[in-house]
Amino acid sequence: MTAVAAPLARSSAPGWTAAAMVAPASIVVTIGIVLPIVILFRYSLNQFTPAKVMVDAVTLENYTRFFTDPFYRAVLFRTIRVAALCTAICVVLAFPMAYCLARTRSRFKNLLLMAVILPLFVGNAVRAAGWMVLFGNRGFVNSILIGSGVIREPLQIMYTEFAVVVGVIAVNLPFVVLTLQAVLEGIDRAIEEAALGLGAGPWRTFRHVIFPLALPGVITGTILSFILAMNAYATPVLLGGPTFQMMGPTVYNQFAGLTNWPFGAAMAFVLMTATLLLTVTSNWLAQGRYRR
Amino acid sequence: MDNYDSFLTRRRLLKAAGALAGASAFGGWSPAWGQSGGRIVLGTWGGDYSKLLAKNIDTPLLVPKKYEVVHDIGGDPERRAKMRAEARLPRGTSDLQGLSAAQMYEMNEAGLCLPIDYAKIPNSQYLLPQMKYPYGVGHIYSGKVILYNPKLITTPPTSFADALDPKHGNKLGIIDIQYQFTMMAAGLASGGSMTNYEPGKERLMACRKAGAKILPTNEAMAQALQNEEVGICIMWKARAVQWQKAGAKVDTVAPKEGIPLYISGFVIPKNAQNKDAAHFWLNEMLQPSAQEAFAEDMGYNGSVTNAKIPAETEKRIGFTAEERKRLIDLDYGYLAKNDSALKEWWDKTFKG
Repeated sequence: MTAVAAPLARSSAPGWTAAAMVAPASIVVTIGIVLPIVILFRYSLNQFTPAKVMVDAVTLENYTRFFTDPFYRAVLFRTIRVAALCTAICVVLAFPMAYCLARTRSRFKNLLLMAVILPLFVGNAVRAAGWMVLFGNRGFVNSILIGSGVIREPLQIMYTEFAVVVGVIAVNLPFVVLTLQAVLEGIDRAIEEAALGLGAGPWRTFRHVIFPLALPGVITGTILSFILAMNAYATPVLLGGPTFQMMGPTVYNQFAGLTNWPFGAAMAFVLMTATLLLTVTSNWLAQGRYRR
Repeated sequence: MDNYDSFLTRRRLLKAAGALAGASAFGGWSPAWGQSGGRIVLGTWGGDYSKLLAKNIDTPLLVPKKYEVVHDIGGDPERRAKMRAEARLPRGTSDLQGLSAAQMYEMNEAGLCLPIDYAKIPNSQYLLPQMKYPYGVGHIYSGKVILYNPKLITTPPTSFADALDPKHGNKLGIIDIQYQFTMMAAGLASGGSMTNYEPGKERLMACRKAGAKILPTNEAMAQALQNEEVGICIMWKARAVQWQKAGAKVDTVAPKEGIPLYISGFVIPKNAQNKDAAHFWLNEMLQPSAQEAFAEDMGYNGSVTNAKIPAETEKRIGFTAEERKRLIDLDYGYLAKNDSALKEWWDKTFKG
């Protein structure tokens, strides 16, 4: 009896075990993410009055206002442009670095990996502060250029798109390198050797063998970097300054500066939807291209 | 949780019951229960202001009377958002909130402030009338003046019109977070008033076209003045005093159009848990010793008439009798009604 009962007991266990394993994360996600998003969406349909902040309503006027106002559309497109540019540069810079890390047999491999991870130990705002020291009118870069006689007047680097792009790349690069390195690590070296042995040059091997195999990593890294850049806050605020406006700080400004919660909520939703749509579309296009 | 458990021991409960019985025996519950100690949660800006509140008010005046003052540090936008978000709760998380006069007005208009019971604040008899609001108490004040570096700006300005002038090109600095006062000053310089900032917009756009620098914060402006990237700007006199102390070579001028007042004070949220203690804190905030220390440490003028400010400090931070006549209070109703529109113009047209 015991011998029969035990397997029976075990057979009913996996369902419960799976439920028990999934439940805590599901509860956290529901309470911590889904619920606030639902509340935010409801807020986005309300109306704004300066005295009461929010008046209960069901209206799309906040969304209409966003899409009909050239200023907010420009902020959204600027954000998409910066995010796409930073992501493209991150992937280009990260691929060779990740490849070297994956293929190296050096005894310092762990140290090199640590060097990639190390910037993540420091918060975005602190890293942006470092860039401010470099980019300021009396900062390191300008001092070197003026000192060496290349320029006479300091270059305006702070509060420009260039400063923001550099700052965002510095934040996102480790994420892309680590994602790519994990995937490249899993590609059997023998496949590359076979391609080379069959007469393919390094570029052809990369294009037809390594890159397609590494595509899941490239896609994941791209998604990660794009999402981070679209939602960047500290870097655009500190390096972009008051005049280079991106979506993250603009959403915050609506909530905190103007206490216009309905419009801020609508902007947050536009940002989230744009990020989601662009991510899904690019993922679908990339996979479709290489499936052929 | 541990703290809560240890706090609610049987012995403490018995002690509390005993104290309650004792209080009843001596004529019932004291109306000023705040004066018998308690925990006060005070919302404030961080940095020097929070440190000086602790140094000049909490530690010397509240702690000896068995009060525990906890600072809930944050920018005013976040703390105002929190007040609004907590409005529906019966028990809020703060007993006092430090805000500017305009923000105090805004929070009161939103129905979030407890009317101040001045009978519980004996020191309010010395409070300047402009600082005595039905919904809040002024703590310190300063005025908007012109700061300029005589090395870069050789003709001393005398008015906002002189300061906010396109002729300064990229030597004119404008602080992003000071959009209200900048638009107000530009308005006054262009024939506007405290209830009409509109005429200043054209002037600001001309300055922007001429290359005026927009800096994100007061601190960024301090650095720009120090580096001589900026030669002229408008700022609180108190900040100018601090920056002069830090080595910035700037002089100040009280503008002839008028000196807009900046008043910082405290409100008690309607759902504060320790309202009596909050009133008691406000009373101690107005103690001459605390006000004198703030004037010395922070460069702001106090809000009471019985503080003895040393003549040298008064000369540095205060305003002459002639200048005092030009101090002008803001129209908080106009600001509250138009702030969204002003900020939108600032973000979209001026900075855009």
